Amino acid sequence: MSMMSQKFAPKKRMSADPVDPKSRKRKRCPFQIANFEDVDYKDIDTLSKFITERGKILPRRITGVSAYFQRRLAKAIKQARHIALLPFVADN
Amino acid sequence: MKQQQEKQMLYEGMYVLNAHISDETRNHAFEKIKSGITNRGGEIVKVHDQGRRRLAYEINRQKEGYYYLVYFRLPTSDMNDLWQEYHLNENLLRFLTIQTDKVMDEIKFKQLPEL
Repeated sequence: MSMMSQKFAPKKRMSADPVDPKSRKRKRCPFQIANFEDVDYKDIDTLSKFITERGKILPRRITGVSAYFQRRLAKAIKQARHIALLPFVADN
Repeated sequence: MKQQQEKQMLYEGMYVLNAHISDETRNHAFEKIKSGITNRGGEIVKVHDQGRRRLAYEINRQKEGYYYLVYFRLPTSDMNDLWQEYHLNENLLRFLTIQTDKVMDEIKFKQLPEL
């Protein structure tokens, strides 16, 4: 059984805003949609979509990445930083 | 004899070499890296020469690096030894070795859907 087969059960969210929660489209993990097996540190184009301009890793509440892939993504970004493919801090 | 009994693992190593040295010196430094693997009973599976690249941040006041990607097999116990050797190599700015299970023939990746 792979981790990817786990059901993505929508949790009921309590929200303060009056928007009907059913009308809001649920974010789905982009890595699961594209059927990624793993996140590679050499794949800079993909990794750079998940960091801010400053070089920080984006939280998954913004990107919609699943917990499984967020762990792999974070690891890949850190490896890419070490090998100077991605910045630790970008100040431009 | 000892090395044949030991478990060999497939590794992927990325090496960033100094880009401000002559091609000859750089090739020599890279040969040293390769012989470090083969002398320990390892085997080089594939080498990708990724060429010059801008570094995301300066390392030793250098803004560019020369990237190599090497797939190799090596007994696991020799890894520490190899790292020690890498730290002594002055032309090697950075290295990263990770265990892997497949060799990439081409450095190509899947595309993400539009976010």
